[in-house]
Amino acid sequence: MLPKFSYVRPDKLAQAVKHLETDKAVIHAGGTDLLGCLRERIMDGDLLVSLGGLKGLAGIKETADGGLSIGALTTITEVSENRLVRDKYPGLAQGAAEVASPQLRNQGTLGGNLCQKPRCWYFRGEFHCLRKGGGLCFAIKGENQFHAIFGHDKICAITHPSDTAPVLVALNASVDVVGPAVNRSIAVEDLHVPPAEDVRAETVLKRGEIITRITIPAPAPNLYSSYRKIRARRSWDFALAGAALAFAMDGDRVSRANVVLSGAAPVPWRSTAMEEVLSGSTLTAETIFRAARAAVAEARPLAGNQYKVEMFRGMLEEELRKVGKGGEV
Amino acid sequence: MTTKDKIYYREGLPVPETPDPENSPEFWRQTDVVGKPLPRVDAYERVSGTAVYPSDILLPNMIYGAMLRSPHPNAKVKGIDTSAAEKMDGVRAIITGQSAEAKNVKWKYRDQQVPLFASHCRFEGEAVAAVAADTRYQAADAARAIKVDYEILDFAVDYEHALDASAAKVGGKGNLLNEERYGRGDLDKGFAEADVVLEETYRTPCELHTPMEPHGCVANWERDRLTVWESSQGVYAVQSRIAEALDLPLSKVRAVGHYMGGGFGSKLWPGKYTVLCCLLAKKTARPVKMMLSREETYLCVGNRPASTMRIKAGVKKDGTLTALEFDCSGPSGAYPAGGVQLVDWLVRDLYRCANVRTSSKDILINAGPARPFRAPGHPQGAWALEQMVDALAEKIDMDPVALRLKNIPLESQAREGAPPYTTTGLRQCLERGAEQFDWRESIKRINGHNGRDNHLKRGIGVGACLWIAGDGGPPSTVIIKLYKDGSVNLNMGASDIGTGTKTVMAQVAAEELGVHPSVIQIEHADTATTQFATPSGGSKTVPTEAPTVRNAAISLKQALITMAAEDLKVDRDELNYIGDEIVWSGDDSKKIRITELSTLQKRGEVIGVGYRGPNPEDKVVNPFAAQFCELEVNTLSGEIRILRFLGAHDSGRVLNRLTFDNQVYGGIVMGVGLGLTENRQLDENQTGKLCNRNWHDYKLPTALDVPLVMSSLPIELDDPESNNTGAKGLGEPVTIPTAAAIANALYMATGVRFTRAPVTPMAVIRELSKKEKG
Ligand SMILES: Cc1cc2nc3c(=O)[nH]c(=O)nc-3n(C[C@H](O)[C@H](O)[C@H](O)COP(=O)(O)OP(=O)(O)OC[C@H]3O[C@@H](n4cnc5c(N)ncnc54)[C@H](O)[C@@H]3O)c2cc1C
Ligand code: SF4
Repeated sequence: MLPKFSYVRPDKLAQAVKHLETDKAVIHAGGTDLLGCLRERIMDGDLLVSLGGLKGLAGIKETADGGLSIGALTTITEVSENRLVRDKYPGLAQGAAEVASPQLRNQGTLGGNLCQKPRCWYFRGEFHCLRKGGGLCFAIKGENQFHAIFGHDKICAITHPSDTAPVLVALNASVDVVGPAVNRSIAVEDLHVPPAEDVRAETVLKRGEIITRITIPAPAPNLYSSYRKIRARRSWDFALAGAALAFAMDGDRVSRANVVLSGAAPVPWRSTAMEEVLSGSTLTAETIFRAARAAVAEARPLAGNQYKVEMFRGMLEEELRKVGKGGEV
Repeated sequence: MTTKDKIYYREGLPVPETPDPENSPEFWRQTDVVGKPLPRVDAYERVSGTAVYPSDILLPNMIYGAMLRSPHPNAKVKGIDTSAAEKMDGVRAIITGQSAEAKNVKWKYRDQQVPLFASHCRFEGEAVAAVAADTRYQAADAARAIKVDYEILDFAVDYEHALDASAAKVGGKGNLLNEERYGRGDLDKGFAEADVVLEETYRTPCELHTPMEPHGCVANWERDRLTVWESSQGVYAVQSRIAEALDLPLSKVRAVGHYMGGGFGSKLWPGKYTVLCCLLAKKTARPVKMMLSREETYLCVGNRPASTMRIKAGVKKDGTLTALEFDCSGPSGAYPAGGVQLVDWLVRDLYRCANVRTSSKDILINAGPARPFRAPGHPQGAWALEQMVDALAEKIDMDPVALRLKNIPLESQAREGAPPYTTTGLRQCLERGAEQFDWRESIKRINGHNGRDNHLKRGIGVGACLWIAGDGGPPSTVIIKLYKDGSVNLNMGASDIGTGTKTVMAQVAAEELGVHPSVIQIEHADTATTQFATPSGGSKTVPTEAPTVRNAAISLKQALITMAAEDLKVDRDELNYIGDEIVWSGDDSKKIRITELSTLQKRGEVIGVGYRGPNPEDKVVNPFAAQFCELEVNTLSGEIRILRFLGAHDSGRVLNRLTFDNQVYGGIVMGVGLGLTENRQLDENQTGKLCNRNWHDYKLPTALDVPLVMSSLPIELDDPESNNTGAKGLGEPVTIPTAAAIANALYMATGVRFTRAPVTPMAVIRELSKKEKG
């Protein structure tokens, strides 16, 4: 059951920042993740600061350089359906469309999607695990079939839950942040925190900092972008394995490949090994085979998620075969 | 004088002949209302939200209950400190094992009696204390504020290791609760006769009941009279369990359950929470509402137990099954609950086979006790048997449908004396199902498809079943009242658990009385105002209640004929009930309208009472089915897409095609959950606690997981011996063969026998890479 809290809905950004300086104040955007977290008591919050009244956080605009600026309060549905997004970055529209379920996409926001808490069942359940300040990661020796195969360092093996973050990383996007001290811009790639750095934090945001907009640079020439996600159930489920591709194409040659995996690691996981094989290559059957292998070569699966190695490999192979073929295999 | 337009009779239609009181009615050869696809009589209430479910009940001065439950799978309660909780805002009562009102109250798991609050909690979620407070939030907060000192004990939650010498003991004694054996014929001889013998071990997961409305109730005392509104499949079971627990006369306990949001077997009886809610209401002298959270229902009020099934089978080249050997084990949970109940029934009874031996081990583990779950035991058994039959068919190079057709039983071999079935529709289900599914052509098409170099592989599969019950039977009593204006009130104790019981019963009454179903008002599921009925479960509600309703309608007609005989001054034997009139056979101008009967006008109403007659002696009434599935597997990603499903069901007469098809589709969807997505996951190696306690982690199939195309093919055989309506049960067979049909289709698509359900993308990838590595 939800704990007691108060709720404010300021209409000035500065006011919101001020409210957030209160101890146990939390940001409320769509609330789809936040309310669940409060109900499960996995975080404290007795003052909910709604962003709903802040005008500057809405809407999708084209930037001067031909990129996009997406307000943090834009709903996931809007991101998935927006013309500009679909034309410039089909991969982002796909990523957004793969999120959760229609109701959650209508209510959840892009900013909230980037800042959501992990879905590890120990974390969400009655287990006082490391990430909640306890002494033990239950997943390392426990039921870890849904957990990470990269980047867990045997500390905490969550997989980052967002389907939009990997695409945004692949598209070199950044977030504009307003805070009590300075306003700053952070590359989405640098937004999330690996457990080795701080097991208690999901993002680098400090108390009182609010993401206002997400900025994506102009699409690279002949950009191919896509997002693919495998899950245990076809809706209302997080990725078992997922991949965002953003390729600058030169004819049938990939001049520059960005590959970011979801369902793989505690943060959106850039597969530099795969990028290296692909960048500068033509997508022959042999390259595809090598690239998909390279992606999982460094995987460190746990007892229950060995299958992810094969799953990523198979999925990436299938995804690479689609490039340049209008998405068909 | 009633005018024609004021009464409610269907015009110009004959009604079934009314038998004399000592005779049974004729089988309906032709029906006018029964069998029609009528929408639900309560569709408006359900869709508009005006239907009042127990969770909607709001009484003046009502307060709320909450429970504190053990967070450990095995722990002793050393001390409870309620002092902080007692002082909290709004708190009106706290009950623990030490409280006077709870001390002597007992609860029963099957035949094992336990105290309401056990000092030794044997499963996560076992009751420790209960609180009543002014709001739900206050109650929950107070329950959290109760301090409990637990001595945490070792636990056993993995039933496959619970019989090991080193395993913790759930109840202090051994963890083997019961072992049941069955045998017929000579197994060795059977295997010796076989041309092919195969053996395999199959496993199914523990599934959790997930009705939309969680378990819960509202309790209210008026002096010494208790009323309980319970989300229940049977109000009389609520009445008797509560009367027993609280030592009250049945007359002092009223249980009401007009609407309820699903149960699937987990609401056949009330829970400890019901007793506690009643005790809290008594202690606070307030109505108390206690609805469980989803987490609580997942922990405490039932599940379909997991199973491990080793099956060995022998077959001759011509398809004759010669031997079946089956050993299964499964967990009841922490208390006796039928952990392996009926898992072996299909092996015993589905196919003709002279030599059969089975054994079933029911095991105790430190987890929530099982409760019946839609077709207890059967989908598990089908998962093993129906895959094994497919494997045998492949080995002897026979079509799997043909192999099943070769072994159709006409009698129930597993029952004493092998009594015949009134009807065995299995042949027609398989034959007509295969025809409508285009089975043979589909195989050719798929072989062509799978031969191409493509990572998307297709397969089709079949699964067959019977359901051990579905015959219904006594007791049941129904009263039908005819008011003097010709309108009708149907009064029955049975619950409508969402299956359309009320609609179907209105159709039966309308058929027999010649009135429009819409003028029939239904009173049901209230122990104070209706008659005794058993809970709605076992697919027996239609075959139990429909014949009773018919009998009540006939008894009503007989009463009316007697009244007409007085008015017309002729012998009652010479009168016929025709439409809205009773007519003398001597001269059809001598007649009287029902609504003009003088006794009816004087009394204001007349009643007919119906009782459920006995089932046929020496014969068995079971429903049969075959389901067919086509799917596609992505061999690179492991994803499975179910393309189409066909359910061919012999459940006797179809009383309403809409409610019939609803069951077929719903059963298939539930079977998809068993086959592909659902699995209770316990933290076996560390804490023994439940990992997936919400709807994200416990994966019910969603709209995107269910078949793109589903069709229902009723195999409507005349079954006049079954009961006076010819309808057999349907609600459970619809989910029995589904998962097995999926597994068989997966085999055709991938060449892998998926022996363990559910088959998730993870399982597909695991098995395919195992196969690749050889
Ligand atoms: C059942 C279920 C299934 C789901 N499945 C998926 C899935 O498959 N894929 C997927 O990607 N997601 C999934 N989600 C997560 C869902 O997409 C997120 O809950 C949603 O995007 C969060 O948006 P929100 O606006 O509701 O955030 P809120 O719940 O309001 O906030 C989430 C968190 O972010 C913080 N926050 C919100 N906005 C900002 C901001 N502008 N600046 C700084 N901090 C902020 C909040 O304080 C809070 O901690 C699922 C959620 C549920 C409940
Ligand atoms: S994976 Fe992380 S969140 Fe999950 S149990 Fe381990 S530490 Fe906690």
